[in-house]
Amino acid sequence: MFCEKSVELIRELHRMGDGQLPAFNEDGIRQVLEEMKALYEQNQTDVNEAKTEGKSELIPSIKFRHSCLLRNQRCIAAYLYDRLLRIRALRWEYGSVLPTTIRFHMCAEEMEWFNQYKKSLATYMRSIGGEEGLDITQDMKPPKSLYIEVRCLKDHGEFEIDDGTVILLKKNSQHFLPRWKCEQLIRQGVLEHVIS
Amino acid sequence: MFVTDIRKEFYDVVVNQRVALFVSPDIDALCACKVLQSLFHCDQVQYTLVPVAGWQDLGTAFMEHKEQYQYFVLINCGANVDLLETLQPEEDSVFFICDTHRPVDVVNVYNDTQIKLLIKQDDDLGVPSYDDIFRDDEEDEEGDGNDSGNESDGSAEPSGKRRRYDEDALERRIERQRARREWEARRREILFDYEQYEFHGTSAALVMFELAWVMSKDTKDMLWWSVIGVTDQWVHDKIPHMKYVTDIATLQRHVSRHNHRNEDEENSLSIDCMRITFEYDLRLVLYQHWSLYESICNSSYTSCSFKLWSINGQKKLQEFLADMGLPLKQVRQKFNCMDMTIKENLREVIEESANKFSMKDIRVQTFAVNFGFKNRFLASDVVHAAAALLENVEKDETSADNFIKALDCLSRSNLERLHLGIDLAKKKLKAIQQTVASCICTNLILSQGPFLYCHLLEGTPDVKLFSKPLALTLLCKYLLKAFVCSTRNRRCKILPLIMAAPLDVEKGTVIVLGIPPESETSDKKNFFGRAFEKAAESTSSRTLHDHFDTSVIELKMEDRGKFLDALITLLS
Repeated sequence: MFCEKSVELIRELHRMGDGQLPAFNEDGIRQVLEEMKALYEQNQTDVNEAKTEGKSELIPSIKFRHSCLLRNQRCIAAYLYDRLLRIRALRWEYGSVLPTTIRFHMCAEEMEWFNQYKKSLATYMRSIGGEEGLDITQDMKPPKSLYIEVRCLKDHGEFEIDDGTVILLKKNSQHFLPRWKCEQLIRQGVLEHVIS
Repeated sequence: MFVTDIRKEFYDVVVNQRVALFVSPDIDALCACKVLQSLFHCDQVQYTLVPVAGWQDLGTAFMEHKEQYQYFVLINCGANVDLLETLQPEEDSVFFICDTHRPVDVVNVYNDTQIKLLIKQDDDLGVPSYDDIFRDDEEDEEGDGNDSGNESDGSAEPSGKRRRYDEDALERRIERQRARREWEARRREILFDYEQYEFHGTSAALVMFELAWVMSKDTKDMLWWSVIGVTDQWVHDKIPHMKYVTDIATLQRHVSRHNHRNEDEENSLSIDCMRITFEYDLRLVLYQHWSLYESICNSSYTSCSFKLWSINGQKKLQEFLADMGLPLKQVRQKFNCMDMTIKENLREVIEESANKFSMKDIRVQTFAVNFGFKNRFLASDVVHAAAALLENVEKDETSADNFIKALDCLSRSNLERLHLGIDLAKKKLKAIQQTVASCICTNLILSQGPFLYCHLLEGTPDVKLFSKPLALTLLCKYLLKAFVCSTRNRRCKILPLIMAAPLDVEKGTVIVLGIPPESETSDKKNFFGRAFEKAAESTSSRTLHDHFDTSVIELKMEDRGKFLDALITLLS
């Protein structure tokens, strides 16, 4: 049946909930595009036939193929757009350097789009907040305190904080550190915020 | 050196610095750590907390953090050993030691720059005076130099005078050497007396709480933690009863200070607020979270008085319950579900009947905390729960993981963890009770002359639980009490007990622990630390003295025989 491949793409994205980015399904897109091309060519020949020979019984099948084409287009557009939204959220979550596993899941054009997005976000951040700019990707929720207590969940090695001092992050050690330094690591799952 | 003003010399120094905290795995240390952490949160002092299980851990942790930190706070570790020798720190590292282990090593006491002891000086320390132990050796050398100088000078003079000078110089030198030998002998004796017995001082949690109080930053949570710290010392038998009562009196003053707010009919505190109350409550372990019957069977005091491992003992228990008029069905129910009429005067009823059965001290002074309608805990409940979590062997987790879990259970927001701890504690107490019963019934305790000895074999049920020091200590004390109650041999009643339990089956090691003899007025001074060291040296057994308590060591199974023989010769 037509359009099944494109709905599969959508289902794949839907299955990976929670903002995760699955690998870019090159194959799937290619198959859908081929299907669209086949449908389009069939439609072309039918339209020519209908025009020249006046076979009006071809018109419903033309209409059917056309609506399949529109559906495929809509599905692919939705797939690509949803992936872009997820990639955009990744910038806010992980920062400007993405982990390599995620980078493998993106295709070249998506990488390009990500870089452009990063640039425009950086330009914006530089333009607000006076001379040094304002990093709006931190403190996404209003902070309750300047320093927080964190617990180390895995061995992360040495970690440098603003005034140059180095802290050794070993499993099961607890630290009391400035909030802005820890947020990244909390998001990455290395540290855990301890609420007592 | 001892810190006189803990606020100026400790807190004000570290408040603008980053600090590394090394905490040892016992409940008192956990409580002290919690109090100190809240103070640090209040003043935004950046710190790093590292749990250390023994001397090796402490050394490793120090190695890892010495580049980044200048100030180190050690809780319940480090006072009884020459710290500078063990850790070899840089010149600018400063150590603040808040430790209950006594005797404090003399080098730590007399070091002025790098070691600061956060210990109360009226704590009955008996530190030898400086001149008795340390002495300038330069005087001697100078004296000798002068003599030889005189001799060489004297060679220019006529021979008669020279002979006189020689004799004088020789006499003086002999005199000096004799005095020096005497001094050294006296020094050895003084040090031996000083370091012979190991005991414990004021709870670290109490010291930290008093620091908070001096700064007017104490809260009810901190007070509760210091109560738990002091109770831990009593539960694990580290301090004599008199000291416990004195510490409780101190805490009672703080509790009444925190409780006297303008409370009356209109302005009463919400039921969800935390309330600490002084209680003269029963010595039955975990009785409010268990059934009364189970609690009586598994508390060492009642179990030993009734001798519950024998049939006579069971009968006596039934008599006791009948005497109080408590129906068996009620008594076996969960405590919360017991009839209200029974619960109302329970303590007085039990005390009266206990007096008839020669249990004079069934009630003990302690504290309880209330918050919300459901949550009521006695201090000893929390101690048992936290100790069970700290030494949890059920899952294969590292000691640091368990440390973190136990630390968490002390906060009020982690009630499920506390309840989990209480369940684990119940299992542990039942295991202890069964092991004691089987040891007594199968006569596993042997008298070796100067001490009693018991060895837990590998196949014993729940023996994994007893590979941890705190659990083994509880078992030891319970066993000794039971033995003293059940034996007829008068000489054996005043002997100390050494216990060995398998630690690691693959490596073939056992954990060995010694406790002082059981007596009403014992001052809990333990000489096994030094005894173990000497015995290990003399037989060159493969031992590991890794625990901060010197009376707990690890030993290779094969060396057990000669080690024990050496101990027997040493102590008789």
